[in-house]
Amino acid sequence: MTAPLSDLSIVVRASGVAAAYAARLLGTMGGKVLLAEPEGGTPLRREPPFLPCEDGQAGATSALFAYLAAGMDSEVVADAARLSQLLTDADVFIDDTPVAERERLGLDEAAIAGRYPQLIHVSVLPFGASGPKCGWKGEDVVIQHAGGEGNLLPNGLAVEMFPDRAPLKIAGHFGAMQGGIAAALGALAALWDRPARGGQFVDISCQDANLAVGAFAIQRLGDGSIEHRVERSFRYGGVIPCEDGYLELLTLEQRQWDGLVKLLGNPAWALDPALADSLERSRRGPEINEHIRAWAAVRKVDDIVSAGQTLGVPLARYKTPAQILADPQERHRGVFQKLPVGDAGELDVLVSPFHFDAAPLTLAGGPPPLKDMPVLARAKG
Amino acid sequence: MAKPLAGIRIADFTVHNAGPFCTNLLSQLGAEVIKIESAMRPDAFRKPHPVYGRMGPATFDQVASTKLSVRINLKKSDGIALAKRIVGVSDIAAESFRPGVMDRLGLGYEALKSVKDDIVMLSVSSSGQSGPDSHFAGYAPLFGAWGGLGELTGYEDGPPVEIRHVMDHTVGMHAATAVMAALHRRRATGKGSHVDVAAREVAAALVGDMMLLAAAGGSPARRGNAHPRMAPHGVYPAQGEDRWLALAVTSDAEWSALADLMGRSELASDARFSKEADRQENRFAIDAIVSEWTAGKDAGEAAAQLQQAGIGAHASWTTPEIASDDHLRMRRAIVEVAEPDGKLRAAVGVPMRLSKGSEIGIDRGTPKLGEHEDHVYGELLGMGRDERRALEDAEVIY
Repeated sequence: MTAPLSDLSIVVRASGVAAAYAARLLGTMGGKVLLAEPEGGTPLRREPPFLPCEDGQAGATSALFAYLAAGMDSEVVADAARLSQLLTDADVFIDDTPVAERERLGLDEAAIAGRYPQLIHVSVLPFGASGPKCGWKGEDVVIQHAGGEGNLLPNGLAVEMFPDRAPLKIAGHFGAMQGGIAAALGALAALWDRPARGGQFVDISCQDANLAVGAFAIQRLGDGSIEHRVERSFRYGGVIPCEDGYLELLTLEQRQWDGLVKLLGNPAWALDPALADSLERSRRGPEINEHIRAWAAVRKVDDIVSAGQTLGVPLARYKTPAQILADPQERHRGVFQKLPVGDAGELDVLVSPFHFDAAPLTLAGGPPPLKDMPVLARAKG
Repeated sequence: MAKPLAGIRIADFTVHNAGPFCTNLLSQLGAEVIKIESAMRPDAFRKPHPVYGRMGPATFDQVASTKLSVRINLKKSDGIALAKRIVGVSDIAAESFRPGVMDRLGLGYEALKSVKDDIVMLSVSSSGQSGPDSHFAGYAPLFGAWGGLGELTGYEDGPPVEIRHVMDHTVGMHAATAVMAALHRRRATGKGSHVDVAAREVAAALVGDMMLLAAAGGSPARRGNAHPRMAPHGVYPAQGEDRWLALAVTSDAEWSALADLMGRSELASDARFSKEADRQENRFAIDAIVSEWTAGKDAGEAAAQLQQAGIGAHASWTTPEIASDDHLRMRRAIVEVAEPDGKLRAAVGVPMRLSKGSEIGIDRGTPKLGEHEDHVYGELLGMGRDERRALEDAEVIY
């Protein structure tokens, strides 16, 4: 199968996760991505944690950079003339240069549009390239809280246990990555339109993207309800502690509840005729959860999940990355590909969550070395 | 001037949130999306949703906005035939049933290809169309649990955290990107394709760096709001009940600026904090200092001051604050949509601004069940009134 974007050429200037993730998405679907780096390399190369070397010693390859840049080519682009040369042949230019610096670098919307009329110019910034906050900075934690979801987490068991703690961000770079996905989608939408309208400027704000994926809170506001992390827990189910870990349980449909009752062994409390009504179950959620938690606390996660899924009860183990790497499902799907990853050696790299025509995608290689810098000298300093 | 995806038509069989969010994004970008449902199995938003605490139907559903609605009873063979006629005039067929359901209905990829050779079919599911877990039922929090995102989210000393609708919707946004890629290939090669998006793999992709760390023998773990390099970094108390300020100091220069802003310039040269590695080592002490300062400040004003000083910060916003924000409204990330009774309410736009073409975003609110059958059955499929009535009487259009 030909990768879907194999005819596409992308140049990316990425100092942050959002722009790099956009390029990664396009690259995993076949686009040829060139990472245009400043002297010394993109700051992403210096983000911890660093991967241990094959011999177990501390290494110098950033896990984040290696993941984001796998499959890309890299070039240190120190002058405007070289960048201009690269952009002349590119279909898409993804850039996270702050707005205030763009004009000086000749990277502002008007300059790019004037020089490359067929280029899709994608700007990816924490708060976008237009609007009163377009100059504002924002790391992932800031983006998640500006977009709303940050204030609404944690929920369920965690907020029951720690109701007075500060709200909690989603792990890793979730907020920035939302900007990256929106940027990839924006690039492809603009490319679709290119035969009719030529190149154009795509303005992506990570805040907007976080708000979009959190749209239900706005929907509930319109329904007259203001969500709060303490109240938005599922009425029953959610994170359930077991003897050897945690599982997630969520029954939305009657048949799933019926399956759960069977899984629990048809206990007397669950056979209360009043609980046949989903509204009543919702009202008595805390009581139901007490029973479920007591039952699960003395059982193993895999036993519950396996029996429950057979009965059509939606259940899942909270899996660690190591468990996912070894999981038969992910192995079967070809989610990971062995690739050379700097001084960490050959490792399983997650490729893509997409299959096209029943086949997984593949990466052309691991993360690119910085060509003007010896591998072991990086990052450690 | 048209929106960028004008001319693209989608036969939309998706249910719940992830799939519908995907097709909603594409509809906001100009695709004509025909939502296929029935009175027997109406979309979840048309019914009460007590587990989420909604005791009646929704009057507005974000992911159904801008779509067209038709009724088809897929339990009838004539219903399947009618669905295929819609696919025959579409570019994309999107579905999010459990793997195998579309095949059993006679609407699998091969069947749809025989109707429309270059169709792009999108299947969104919890675990993908293949593999030992492919039959698993699942919703957003389960995707996060399977994919590692839930396990890694949480306080260091607490349990994992369930990731809610944002998980569904990030699956949907990924799916929209994959579908657009398939359309590009169709334009280049004339060939359609079957796009298979596994929600748990999307969750794993969002922590792909931690997967890599584990593959190298490391042990990724929950870190709360902490960052492995930056300190201070997190969510700090602000003035007022349940008010918080998110901030991150990315460099020594920013730390120096924060020290000045707090009126504690001496902290910039304090050996415990002056260098990034030292601040990381003493992050609990630094959090206490910053918290003492933020606790007396209005979150919004403090964020503006911090930004002025070159430090990334924002108030931890509640939904009403977001809905009324000038910046988001100017960018059309927040828009007004009319309810059936004409009342306006806030909704969320498509997260991008394009420099050319007409304004993208939501055109209409939530369609009534079967609201657009005159257009779809009458104009697109050329069905006469008698044919439609016969199918209604036979509970095919139902």
